[in-house]
Amino acid sequence: MIIRWICEKCNKKWIYPVEKCVYCKGGISKQKGAKIKVVGITKVSIPSPMHPVIPYNIILLQDEHGNRMPKKTMKDYKIGDDYTEQKAKSNDAVAIVKTKYDTYEAIKEAVGLVNGIGFGETDKILIKPSIVIAAYPYQAVNTNPDFLNALLLVLFEHGIKKENVIVAEQALIGSDAADAASKSGIIEICKKNGVEFADISKGPFEEVKAEGYAFNVFKEALSRKIINSPIMKTNFQIGISGAMENISRLVDEKTQRKMYFDDIDNTLPKLAKALPEVFTIADATNGMQGQGPLALGEPAFLNLVLASRNAANLDIAFTEVAMLQLPSYINYSYPNTNLKNIEIVGGEIDALRYPIKAASPHETAHPDIKVIDGKACPACLNLLYNLTSRLVGLRGDEINIVTGSVLSEDMLKGKSRLVALGECAMNKLKELNVEPIASIDERIDVIEQLVLLKKLLTTKGEPRITPVDRVKSKMKKLLSRVVR
Amino acid sequence: MYVKGVGMTKFGAQTDTTHEMVYEATLEALEDADFKIDDVEAIVSTVVNTTINGERQRGFSSILSSMFKKKIPIITTSAVCGSGGSALWTANKLDYGNVLVVGAERLLSNNTSLVTDEILMAGERIYEQAEGLIFPAQNALVAQQYMLKYGATTDDFALVAFKNHQNAYLNPKARFYKRQVTLKQIKKSPIVASPLRLFDCSLSVNGAAAAILTKEKTDIEIVGSSLFVDRLSAFESEDMTSWQASKLAAEEAYKQAGIAPNDIDIAELHDAFTPVEVISYEDVGFCKKGEAKHLIRKGKVNINGELPVNTSGGLKAKGHPISATGISQVYELAKQMRRQAGERQVSKNIEYALAQNIGGVGSTVTVHILRKVNS
Repeated sequence: MIIRWICEKCNKKWIYPVEKCVYCKGGISKQKGAKIKVVGITKVSIPSPMHPVIPYNIILLQDEHGNRMPKKTMKDYKIGDDYTEQKAKSNDAVAIVKTKYDTYEAIKEAVGLVNGIGFGETDKILIKPSIVIAAYPYQAVNTNPDFLNALLLVLFEHGIKKENVIVAEQALIGSDAADAASKSGIIEICKKNGVEFADISKGPFEEVKAEGYAFNVFKEALSRKIINSPIMKTNFQIGISGAMENISRLVDEKTQRKMYFDDIDNTLPKLAKALPEVFTIADATNGMQGQGPLALGEPAFLNLVLASRNAANLDIAFTEVAMLQLPSYINYSYPNTNLKNIEIVGGEIDALRYPIKAASPHETAHPDIKVIDGKACPACLNLLYNLTSRLVGLRGDEINIVTGSVLSEDMLKGKSRLVALGECAMNKLKELNVEPIASIDERIDVIEQLVLLKKLLTTKGEPRITPVDRVKSKMKKLLSRVVR
Repeated sequence: MYVKGVGMTKFGAQTDTTHEMVYEATLEALEDADFKIDDVEAIVSTVVNTTINGERQRGFSSILSSMFKKKIPIITTSAVCGSGGSALWTANKLDYGNVLVVGAERLLSNNTSLVTDEILMAGERIYEQAEGLIFPAQNALVAQQYMLKYGATTDDFALVAFKNHQNAYLNPKARFYKRQVTLKQIKKSPIVASPLRLFDCSLSVNGAAAAILTKEKTDIEIVGSSLFVDRLSAFESEDMTSWQASKLAAEEAYKQAGIAPNDIDIAELHDAFTPVEVISYEDVGFCKKGEAKHLIRKGKVNINGELPVNTSGGLKAKGHPISATGISQVYELAKQMRRQAGERQVSKNIEYALAQNIGGVGSTVTVHILRKVNS
C-alpha cells in the first residue's frame, strides 16, 4: 500500500507522517492508493550488506493518485502490470510487512493479510508483550510501546472493548515486572489506552496438561483469546527469542524452571499445545541482534511486522529473513517443518533477507568467561549475565561456566576450568562424574558469588570462598546498604 | 569572488590518508595562486566517508587546523556527492578575503560491497535503502522513465561514457588516464542495475581537490553561484526525468551572471551515471526537454564540439571521490580557461564555464558559472 500524508486544507503531500501542515496549519489525513500499477523496473546485480541475495528486482509502483513507491521483489514484472498483494489461503500462513514510518498501518496490513485476527467484539483478550528486564525502548529489549499502542488502536478499531483487554507479562525470573513494564514505557501505554496491566507472576495459575506434561498457566490466559506480541530478538540459548519463547512466560516460575530443566526445546512446543488460540503479531520494527539484552546485544533496525496464527511458523520465517540458524526447538520438536511448507504473504523471504548478528552460544559479557549452556532456566541465565557483566575489564584465565541440566559429556569435551553455576548444573556434573574447579550456588548472596568468580578469574588456585571472603562480602553488603 | 588557484591529487587508488591528500591538493592550489597558507583567512572543507575507510575521525576541521597550523574559522560541510559544490557555494558566501575550499574522499579503501553500502547511506532509509535501491538502481529507474518518455536509448548513454573516457584518456589526473576504453567494451559491460551497465556508472576513487577563492580580482571571476535542495527520493517528484533543484540552481546562476545557457562555452556536469549527464543537459538549459540525445548523438558535447562537456573525463572516467568532485570540476574549468589543460585543451575560446554538482538523485544541486576576465 502506498501512503501519503496530505493536508486537508492545502493538499500538500508528505511521504513522512506529519501532525499538522507547516504551511496552513491544516489537519492531516492519509491518502492510500488501492489501484497500484508497475511503472518502472530495474534488476540489480550487485550485492550490498543490506541486500546480499542477487539478482533482485526493484519495481516502481504508482497508485491512482500518482503517488509512487519503490519495492524490492524477486518476482518478474512488466511495466503496466497491476500490483496486488494476495491474502493468505492457509490458516498457518505468516504475513511479513515492512513498516513505512507507520507501525499502525503495518500492523493493520499484516493482520489483514492473514485474514484478520478472528476475534469477536465481545471476546476477552490478553495481550502478551515481551517485557523481560527494565530497559528503555531504544534498547530494543522489550516490545516497543509504540508497537503496543498501534496494536491496541487496531483492536479498538475492530470493535474490541478496552475493558475486555488486559496486557499481561512477567519479567525474567529475578527481575521485577512492574519496574520493567514501567521503564519500557508499556505501563504508560496501558494507562493512555485505559487497559489494565497484569503481573503474571502474581497469578493465579491453573494446571493444564499437554502430551502428559503439566503446566501451571496464568488463569486469565485460559479464559481469554491471546495476542502474543513479542519483540524479535536473537537468543544465545535457543537461537531467537520470538513468538514461541514469549509464551513461556505465561506459566509460573516453578513451571518455567521445570520446562528448562526438562529441556526447553521439548517443553516449549508442548506449552503451545496447552494454550488456547494464540494469534501472534510480532514487533520486529527495532529488533535485537547479537548476544541479547543481558550481554551487549544491540538494536537491529529491521522495520518489520510479522503476523501468524502459528507461532513456530512465524519464528521460522523470522530466522530466514534475519539469516539466522533455525531455533533449536524447531529442529528438535518440528523436524519436518521448513520454510517450503509455510505460506508467506506480504513480503517475500528472499527479498527481505538481511543478515543480523547471531548470538554466539558460548559468549558472555566477559571475554574470558565462556558458558557451556545446558538449557539453564532464565533465573540462572540472568545471574550468569549479571555476574559476568560486572567483571568486564578484569582480565584473567579463561573459565567455562556450566549451567542448566541438559548437559552431555560431548559438550564438556576439551573444556577446562569448569565452574558449575546453579543447582541443576552441580547435580548434572556430579552425575557425569565431572569435577568442576568450583561451584556457585544460585541461592548464596550475590556479592559472595561475585567474589568467588573474581577469584576464579584472576587466580589459578583457591576456588572456594574462605571465611575471610565471607566477612568481606558481608561488610561490602552492609556498606552498600548504608550508602544507599 | 574570484578563483585564485586550484589544485588536485590524481584521482586513483592511492593509500594516502584523507588529510595527506588534502595537504597535497592544497599545496598545488597555493603554488598555483602564488599564495602562502598564511594568506588564507578561512577554510571550507568537506569529507563524507569516515567509517569504511578505517579513519573514524569526524573532527575534520581540527585535523586541518593541525595540518596547516592555522587557528582560523574552518568549517566542514556535507551534501553527499554534492559536497564539493556546496563547499564552494559556502565559501563564496563568506565575508573573508581569501578562502581555501578543499574536499577529499577515500572511497577505494574497502570491499565493493561496503563501498556500495557507504554510498547507499546518501539515500532514504525506509523507502530506498530498505528496498535495495542502491545508487545505480535509483538512477536506473530514472533512466528508464526518461527512455520511456523521450525515446533515448542505452546507446545514447554509452556514447556519454565513451566521450568521457576519451577525455579522461588525456587527463593525467584521471583514473582512466591513458587507459583506452572502446564503445564495444562499454556496451558489452555487465549490467549493474538494468538498463545501466558497469560503464554507465562513475568510478569510486580516492582523491582531493582544492581551490583558493579571493576577493582580489584575478583572471577567473565567479559570476554565478547557486545551491538548491529538493526531496531526497526521486520517486517523490512529479517528474522523475527533470530535477527541480538542478533547474532552479541553473536559472539562479544564469540570473546572477546575467547570461543565458547558450553563452556557456564549456561545462563540467555531474555524470555520476551517464543518464544523469543527459538529463543535466536539459536541466541546465543546454537544450529543450527530451532533446539531449541529439547533443550526444551529434557530438556537440565532445571535446572539440560546440559545447564541450566533461573534458576532464567527468565523474565517469576521471573518478568520483564524493567530496572532492565538485571542486575538481572547478579545477578543470580553470585549467581550460587558462589554456593549461595540456592534451585535452579545447580549441575554442572560453569566456563562460559552468560547473554543476549534484548530491543524491537531484537532491542538492550547485551550479557555478565562471567568467574569464581579460587582463
